[in-house]
Order: sequence, then structure tokens, then C-alpha cells
Amino acid sequence: MEQLLVPTICTVDQLIEETPDVRTYRLKFKDDSLTDSFKWLPGQFVEFSLLGSGECTFCIASSATRKGYFDCSIKRAGIVTADIHNELDEGDEVGIRGPYGNWFPLEELKGKNLLFIGGGIGLAPLRSLIQYAIDTRNEYKDFTILYGARTSADICYKEEIEEWKNNESLKVILTIDKAEEKWKEHVGVVPKILEEKVNPVVENTKVITCGPPIMIKYTLMSLDKLGFAPKDVVTTLEMKMQCGFGKCGRCNIGSTYVCKDGPVFTYEELQKLPDEF
Amino acid sequence: MNLTTYITEPAGLQSFYEAIVATNETYAPVEKLGKFDYKQIKTPPECQPDSPIEQTMSIKPLFFPKSARVMKYEATAEGTDVTDTTEDPLAGKRVILGVKHCDARGLQVLDEVYKWDYIDTDYQKRRENTIIISARCEQAATHCFCTSLDYDVEQSDAMDVAVINGLDGKVYIQARTEKGEHFLKENASGLAATNGSALEEMKKQYQAFSGSFRLKMDYKEINGKMQSRFESPAFEEVATNCVSCNTCAFVCPTCHCFKITDERIRDEGVRYKSYDSCNNIYFTLMAGGHNPRPAKYRRWRQRAMHKFVYYKERFGVNLCVGCGKCTISCPVNISIFEVVNQVSNV
Ligand SMILES: Cc1cc2nc3c(=O)[nH]c(=O)nc-3n(C[C@H](O)[C@H](O)[C@H](O)COP(=O)(O)OP(=O)(O)OC[C@H]3O[C@@H](n4cnc5c(N)ncnc54)[C@H](O)[C@@H]3O)c2cc1C
Ligand code: SF4
Ligand code: SF4
Ligand code: FES
Repeated sequence: MEQLLVPTICTVDQLIEETPDVRTYRLKFKDDSLTDSFKWLPGQFVEFSLLGSGECTFCIASSATRKGYFDCSIKRAGIVTADIHNELDEGDEVGIRGPYGNWFPLEELKGKNLLFIGGGIGLAPLRSLIQYAIDTRNEYKDFTILYGARTSADICYKEEIEEWKNNESLKVILTIDKAEEKWKEHVGVVPKILEEKVNPVVENTKVITCGPPIMIKYTLMSLDKLGFAPKDVVTTLEMKMQCGFGKCGRCNIGSTYVCKDGPVFTYEELQKLPDEF
Repeated sequence: MNLTTYITEPAGLQSFYEAIVATNETYAPVEKLGKFDYKQIKTPPECQPDSPIEQTMSIKPLFFPKSARVMKYEATAEGTDVTDTTEDPLAGKRVILGVKHCDARGLQVLDEVYKWDYIDTDYQKRRENTIIISARCEQAATHCFCTSLDYDVEQSDAMDVAVINGLDGKVYIQARTEKGEHFLKENASGLAATNGSALEEMKKQYQAFSGSFRLKMDYKEINGKMQSRFESPAFEEVATNCVSCNTCAFVCPTCHCFKITDERIRDEGVRYKSYDSCNNIYFTLMAGGHNPRPAKYRRWRQRAMHKFVYYKERFGVNLCVGCGKCTISCPVNISIFEVVNQVSNV
């Protein structure tokens, strides 16, 4: 197994400061000949090594339809992520293993209205699918993105969100928790805005959501109230991981391996798991 | 393929072992301060392959090392240099003597997770290049309950060759796999092949052995009941004294959780993969402080459920072979046998 754990070297091509505690690292393979063999679908993740510090799990935050690179958006959370924020700069090298895990149910999304609901750094995995869906826009009907952050400073991907807002085939709704002087969009937590302002069509709609646990909890309750069936709500689950490929036992919830059977689950699937996440 | 059984005297068994040790890289349970661990042996007298004593360690570390180097890395002027330091896990063949059948079964159980999707080729190579020669126990030890689990101890094919000391004073050496048959063809040439009467003698030995068990349970009933015992208050009770030392997992032939850690000295570093356990407080602790199993009883519940429900659901076998090693080594005498029985009945 040891070989399976040896990472491949990637170079930081670009570093984007998203918020005070989130940075996006745009990565390219140091050995360019590996670029084309690295194939992933939205929802999958990588094991990311800052060599000498350690390894962490991050979703791939960009879509493979945008070629030549992939993004990881990293929130300062613990030891390794703090080292990444403190030390890792453009031109530096990191170790990457993956891609691992399952992906969003792309076939099932075809022909549906898509409703994305993201909170904070939770927009990262959604962004991969959003980019993918924008690049294959004809496959889907209505396309709505509801994104919330604590404050306006905590909004990730600000420039890209502007592009989304300018794209007439997308509906973008932004909200922050509390009012701010220059803020012109919505104010209020995500579930509240969902219920009061979005008026989503329930029929023929798939909801794709990711965010902090508390947001997810109340959003699921709101979706239920609005009449969405658990099987039509898709989310990505966060569990501590190490190997990423179903061997180390770390990510297990019941007989489910979050790293292999997930991280993408429908709400219906989550309801069947033991209450251990 | 026909599997042959050979018959000999204890002295013949001794010569059989001697010949193996002389020509093969050989491992066997070796005693040190009253504890038994599988170690490489150079001379046969060191080995006590038919020791009835409870073994402290399983043969797991010979296939899944306690700590393995994954890679070495170095920051150079041209960038990061990663050297795959994974050594060829096992170039040549090796033989392990005196393996308990429960330990051998442990490998069959581990095979399931290692051959699932991402295949662990190091483990596989070690498995392929190893001949396992078991020694049938004469008596059950205090914490043994192997005969109560989901495998046929008597006819097990978890070992390549089974050695059985008959009650008639004879020794029966039986091939259990094709690999074992070939091995015996090459290494047991001086011994006589037997016929039907040997099977009778082996059966008698098994009956005497299987009659010596203090602990018995119905695993099907336990599997069934445990499924609905997730909320059982008994978990809290059984876990009270646990000191989360992880010993039970380290000695267990089937536990296989590991962690990945880095060790850095200036611009150089090494990455390791080492044993870990779900009883460890940090096992599921995530950045930011969220921990799905913060309480001891939740971690013990994971351990018990993984062994008797989850692994069975996923891979079709129990993640426990009834060897009792965890109980022997636990500093506070927690017995997995009692845990699952208690949980099933409360
Ligand atoms: C499928 C998946 C996708 C993720 N995607 C992102 C993302 O896009 N952006 C982002 O900022 N974060 C993401 N996370 C969370 C991220 O993995 C953790 O924040 C990160 O591992 C914390 O590492 P640390 O060393 O700073 O924290 P420490 O608490 O110091 O952690 C030590 C080690 O524990 C493990 N660990 C700790 N917390 C987690 C956790 N929540 N999940 C998995 N392993 C953990 C890591 O191996 C880490 O190296 C994701 C987690 C999962 C499971
Ligand atoms: S050996 Fe005993 S005390 Fe140590 S973790 Fe296992 S059950 Fe707990
Ligand atoms: S849990 Fe205990 S009895 Fe079961 S296989 Fe592991 S060490 Fe043996
Ligand atoms: S992260 Fe290792 S088994 Fe899932």
C-alpha cells in the first residue's frame, strides 16, 4: 500500500486570497506530462501534502472542463492548514494524491432545474459542479445559486461570482448574516433567504448544498418544509480522513466509507447512516 | 487438486521443522518474558511451534508492519525531491511455523479489505510469498472463542499446511491449499502419506480441543442482535474502565486502521504509515474541534460494531476471529466477548 500513499509533485501556479482565512491555490503538475492523465469529476477530492507539515483532504474546487490546472480552496483550520497559509506561496511545491471519492450524480442532474445552496467555504465543492454545469449549460433547465457568508469579507470567489451574476442564464442570490453599510444584496441566514426570497420550483429540481453543519441542518429543514424530497437533495459530507481510498478506517460511518462511497450523498442516504457525523 | 496428509512421529516433525529452518527465511512464535511474538528464527530449538500458550502478538505485523516508511523527501535548489522508500516488501519466500489457526484466519479477514478496489500490492506480495504452517491448539486458553465464529476451525484453509498432534501420539501434517501441497511435496519427502484412518485421528483431536472451550456464543444471534443495539446503554457501562491505550487494536489480528504522519528535520523529512485505533481519542477529531465520537463509549461502540456488524455487512465476514488477544493484553481486563454479549442482551 505504501506506494499508493506516495504523492505526486505539483506547483502552485497562482495564489488567490479569497477571504481573511481562505486562500485558493491553483495547482499544476510539475511534470506536465501527467496533466492529461489526472481526470476528475465534480465532487471528488485530493490528499494535499505540505511536505514536512502533513497531509489534508480538500475537494477539487474547479472543473476539469477548465483545462491545465486544478484549484484547492483552503480554509485556515488546524495545524497543516495554518502552515499552508503561513508558508505556501506561488512557485512552491506540494504533494498531491488522488482524485478520490465519488462525484455528484451528473447523469441524474441532466434535464433538471439546479438549485445550489452554499455557505462559506462550502461553495468550494459546489464551484466545481457550477463550472462544470456552466460549461455544459444546455443540459440543464433553471440554474439558481444561493450563497451566504457571515460577512461580506467572508465571501469566496468574489470575481467569479460577478461573472455568474453577469451570466443571464444563471440566477445568483447572495446573502450575509448581518447588515453592512455598503451591502446591497440580501441580509439573513441562508435557510431564511431560501424560504422567503428564493421561491424555488420544487418540481423537477435537484438541490446541491454544502456549508457549515449548522447551515446544513436548518437548510435541510427548510427544504423539507418547501416540499423537496430527501432523494433530490445532494450534499457532500466532511469526515476525518487519512488514506482517502478505503483502507485506513478513519472515515467510516457504520459500514459506509465516506472516502469511497462519498463524499457526495443524497439526504436520503444520510438519513440511513448511524448518527455519527 | 488432491491435498495430502502425512503422518510422522514427534521426532519426524522436529526434523521437518529443522529442514525448513535450514533452508528458508523462517518465523515462529518466540517467548520473551512470558510473552509470545512471531520472530525470525535461525535455529529450531528457539522455536516452540506447538506451544499451547496464549500468544501476545498476532502475525499481522509480518504482513502489515507496525510502522512503515512511505517516502523520504528533501527540499533542494531544483525543488522537492521525493524518494519512494517503500522497500520491496518481500522479495523471497518465507515460512511461518506454529501459527495459530485464529491468526491465520485473521489474514483471510484482512484480505477482504486489502483486495477491495485500491489493491494493497505490498500486502498481497507478502501473502503470496509466505507459507503458513499452523499448529492446532491442544486446548482452548481462558479467553479463546474461535470455535464460536463464522469460520470452520477444523477444516480451515487459512493456513497452507496444518500440523495436528494426534491423541495417538502421532503427528499429522496436512496440506490445506495448493500452495501447501506443493510445499509438502518438496519438503516432506521423508514422511509417509496417510489414508482414511488419519482423518479419524484428527477428528478425535479436534473434538477434544473443541470440547475444552469455556467461552461459547452464537455469532449469528450476536450479529443479528447487535444490528439494533446502536443505542444500547451497555456500551457506556462496558467502556467505563477503558483507558484508550489502543493495545487491543495493536495486538488484534484483524484491526487495520492506520495513520499517516510526517517527521521533519530542517529540509528533509520522512512520512510514515503506522497503526492507529478507533479507541484513540484523536481518531475522529477534526480541525475546529468537532469530534463525532468524543465519548469513550462511542469509540468502544465503533470498535464492537465494526467487528460484529459493519465489516460483516460490507465484506461478509466478522472482523473478529475469537483469539482473545485483546482481552489478554487489556490493562483493565475488558473482554470483547463480554462486551458483545452484554450489548446484545441489554
Ligand atoms: C471530502 C472533504 C473535502 C474537504 N474539502 C475542503 C476544502 O475544499 N477546503 C477546506 O478548507 N477544507 C476542506 N475539508 C476539511 C479539511 O480537510 C480540514 O480542514 C483539514 O484537514 C484540517 O487540517 P489541519 O491539519 O489544519 O487540522 P488539524 O486539526 O491540525 O488536523 C490534523 C489532521 O487531521 C485530519 N483532519 C482534520 N480535520 C479534518 C476534516 N475536517 N476532514 C478531514 N480530515 C481532517 C487531516 O489529516 C489533518 O492533517 C474537506 C474535508 C473532507 C473530508
Ligand atoms: S486495551 Fe483495554 S483499555 Fe486499552 S483501548 Fe483496548 S479496551 Fe481500552
Ligand atoms: S477483537 Fe480480540 S478476540 Fe477478536 S480478533 Fe481481535 S484480538 Fe482477537
Ligand atoms: S479515509 Fe481511509 S478509509 Fe476512508
